[in-house]
Amino acid sequence: MNGVSVKKADIAVLPQDNAGSEEKRLGFWLTLPAQCLVLFIAVFPILMQLYISMTDWSPLDGIPWYRAYELWIGFINYTDLASDSRFWAAMWRTFLVMIVCVPIQFLLGLGLAVLFVDEFPGKRWFYSTLLIPMMVVPAVAGYMFFLLFQSGGPVNDLLSLFSASPVKIAWLSDPSLALVAVMAADIWQWTPLMFLILLAGMISVPQDQQMAAVLLGASWGRRFFTIVLPRMKTIIIIALAIRTIEIFKIFDTLYIMTGGGPGVATETISVYIYKVTQQDLIWGYVAAIALAILIVLSVISAIAISKMSKGANAR
Amino acid sequence: MTQIALSNLGKKFGSFTALAQMNLTIGDGEFVALLGPSGCGKSTTMNMIAGMVDPTEGDIRFDDRSILDVPMSRRGVGFVFQNYAIFTHMSVRENLAYGLRAQGVSASERNRRVNAMADLLQLTPMLDRRAAGLSVNILQRLAIGRSAVVEPAIFLLDEPLSNVDAAFRSVMRSELKALQRQFSQTLVYVTHDQLEAMTMADRIAVMDHGKLLQVGTPLEIYNNPQDVFVARFIGSPGMNILEGTIASSDEGKLVDLASAGRSAPLALSDRAASQGLPEKVLFGFRPEQVNPDPNGIMALPVNFVERIGARTILHLGGDGIEAKAVLDNQIAMPSIGDILRFSIDPKMVRLFDPVSGIAIGGDI
Amino acid sequence: MRRSLPFELLRYAMILLIIAISLVPTLWMLSMAFKPIAEWSASGAALTWWPENPTLDNFRFIFGQSSSELIVSLERTAARPIMASLLAAIVGTLIAMTAGTAAAYGLSRFGKGNNLPLALIQLRLFPPMAVMIPLMIMWSFLGLIDNWFGLAVVYGIVTLPFAFWLMKTFFDDMPREIEDAALVEGCTRLRVFAVITLPMMRPALASSALFVFIMNWSDYLIALLLTTRDWVTIPVYMTSLSSSMTGQLYGAKAALGLIAAIPPVILGIAIQKHLVRGLTFGALKE
Repeated sequence: MNGVSVKKADIAVLPQDNAGSEEKRLGFWLTLPAQCLVLFIAVFPILMQLYISMTDWSPLDGIPWYRAYELWIGFINYTDLASDSRFWAAMWRTFLVMIVCVPIQFLLGLGLAVLFVDEFPGKRWFYSTLLIPMMVVPAVAGYMFFLLFQSGGPVNDLLSLFSASPVKIAWLSDPSLALVAVMAADIWQWTPLMFLILLAGMISVPQDQQMAAVLLGASWGRRFFTIVLPRMKTIIIIALAIRTIEIFKIFDTLYIMTGGGPGVATETISVYIYKVTQQDLIWGYVAAIALAILIVLSVISAIAISKMSKGANAR
Repeated sequence: MTQIALSNLGKKFGSFTALAQMNLTIGDGEFVALLGPSGCGKSTTMNMIAGMVDPTEGDIRFDDRSILDVPMSRRGVGFVFQNYAIFTHMSVRENLAYGLRAQGVSASERNRRVNAMADLLQLTPMLDRRAAGLSVNILQRLAIGRSAVVEPAIFLLDEPLSNVDAAFRSVMRSELKALQRQFSQTLVYVTHDQLEAMTMADRIAVMDHGKLLQVGTPLEIYNNPQDVFVARFIGSPGMNILEGTIASSDEGKLVDLASAGRSAPLALSDRAASQGLPEKVLFGFRPEQVNPDPNGIMALPVNFVERIGARTILHLGGDGIEAKAVLDNQIAMPSIGDILRFSIDPKMVRLFDPVSGIAIGGDI
Repeated sequence: MRRSLPFELLRYAMILLIIAISLVPTLWMLSMAFKPIAEWSASGAALTWWPENPTLDNFRFIFGQSSSELIVSLERTAARPIMASLLAAIVGTLIAMTAGTAAAYGLSRFGKGNNLPLALIQLRLFPPMAVMIPLMIMWSFLGLIDNWFGLAVVYGIVTLPFAFWLMKTFFDDMPREIEDAALVEGCTRLRVFAVITLPMMRPALASSALFVFIMNWSDYLIALLLTTRDWVTIPVYMTSLSSSMTGQLYGAKAALGLIAAIPPVILGIAIQKHLVRGLTFGALKE
């Protein structure tokens, strides 16, 4: 999201249809509420964000936000950010979650899609059941995994079956394991999303092309890798982009499971921002971080959007 | 090159019978068209030969070897899909080479055969173009080439011309026929267009409602339909079928056609004569056989005159009788409301059993 | 195509295995919710997979009825957070659906090359975290902190892109000829929309609204930021459920979690046909 594209939207709201002026006016009024809301949540806050990020303002200072210019510090917040090791550690952790979770979710989702691509008895039931995790409220999912990973919880109970002595791993309070537990929760909750999207993509691969490949002597693997996967390219990119971006937003599950802890062991970028906001209350600095992240995500989403609109056109 | 034998072939989807009791032998190098309206079971038959659908009954043999247990990738069947199923994410060359690659043919051999096939089909100039966006006639040749390059023993074509506009179809028909002569493979061609079947096929198998009704050369099918459906389906317009009652006269048996008059004495074949005639029959004659004749013993009012250029179609009828006549334009044309008197050459009359719909006496 | 028996068996085995794994967390919470205190506070060897003495105590507890075993009394019961969640999610859905449907219709029928869709997608993709500071400043400035309406407005804006995109693909799918016929008859555009288009869109509106409702209902972060006491939603209330005497109230939290989890799961399965469309902004329709 950047201010420029939204401004263009304001101008372009007049329909270019050669319909009558009444129609034009109607088109304007219909889109007006949405335009206002976008303006309200996106344009105005971002400008405010930019303003505050140039100051050393904090709600504790006792001066209202619009007088934050009294604490103007220019780009200091941004230069501070570059040397903020806690920020970079949080970035790294986010990246780690991303490179572990997204590929696992993708491969599991793809595997499941292969299992579900043709008809078999019970398919509908299995399909609905598999979608349950992604519909569980993320905060509740966080609580579920909090329960599972208690040292006296079922995960250790299960592991005990395979070992001589009862397993007593303190998953959530061990700095080296807490992130694993968080990743497990993310994989559990969002593999169904990958599965859902990839299955829809796989079903849309033309059946006759697959048949043609088989009739030409292609094995299952050759058909899959030379016909099915290449044809799913757009959808795969969409699915990966959605998940990649959402990893940056991961908060609810994680915060309820570990609160970012122990220490900062599971502090991803979202949790970091939240903590700096709520605990350290240096809002000028938070504004700078948030804007920086926004720019990174805008690049990723711009790529995803161009792919998505292509995908929509191809259909 | 292979002979295909279908014996008692049947396919049920749940309680729906898509195909029943299909018996057909397709000779080595023969061009057979499966012809029928949509839903007649022709595509199901084809898909079973290719292995995309498993039969619920009967057997399919290639050269006396049952292939029901052979997976579709090993049947050696070339299949051209209705929409060609070109791999549009690949180049023309990759499309042509796909089968060879899948079968592990060496790179040099692969190149040689792809180039030879491209030459034959005049695809050489676009070999390295992406297949997406090529015109329909190129796609069609590519689809044929892609199957032909692996030298399948059998070629199956599923309505390959249905996506082509009418003007181009006649070009494609001759192109296809020429290609088949070149490859001299056994070829099964599914179509609902009798013109395609008539012009290209060595033999036509007419199907309806999951049943094989008649197999024969195009002329046999046209001249001697063995079934009312075939009679009506083949020809454009199809054969006229009138209900009639057998009557006797001094000159022999004839058919009383109620308000349409009576037929000339029948020229019955020995077989029909020996078989004996049912009391009621269906009286069939081609619209082209209607012979305007002021002294004709048959007469029907003209309802509508349809001029189609060189010839004119007269829609005749009344009292629940409907018939058509195709006349040359040279003849003085009656107008709507006139009564057309005409005669039919007894040799051209075909009789059918009104209950079973089967031709009486076979060849007359 | 002929399917081999071993493949079919493998398919079922793998699906059942994955389903089993994916159900464990939910079932475990379910089991916890019905366990009496003695069972949910147990650990190690005393841990049981199923409640041995199933009870509704946990549910009674969160609604304010202290049971003999749970002698803690709650400062606030779950009733008000449940109401807060419902109110904010429903009103947020109404806001998103009204603005989204109007914009979707406007752009589907009169707009070409408008940038609003793009802006809306980007809005969806950026983290709420990124505008947290301005949002909190604005909302406290407007006096909307800890107010269900303030929360509903944010929900409405955050889910607006989903409402918009879902409805736009549905409007795009609807043949224009039906409307054109009525327009030729002399009806005004507004009347056509009210009398012909909206009734035809009823199933689409229903599934889009449910989709948006699920998203609003699932929120935690925004409520955490914008509510403090009176209007906290279920997840925020859930995390605050603990007492100095017994520590974590596992069973009570599980009961509350169950209450929070059930509506989206049921609604989500009801609209699973349109989930892909919603989640990919109409890039994929199924």
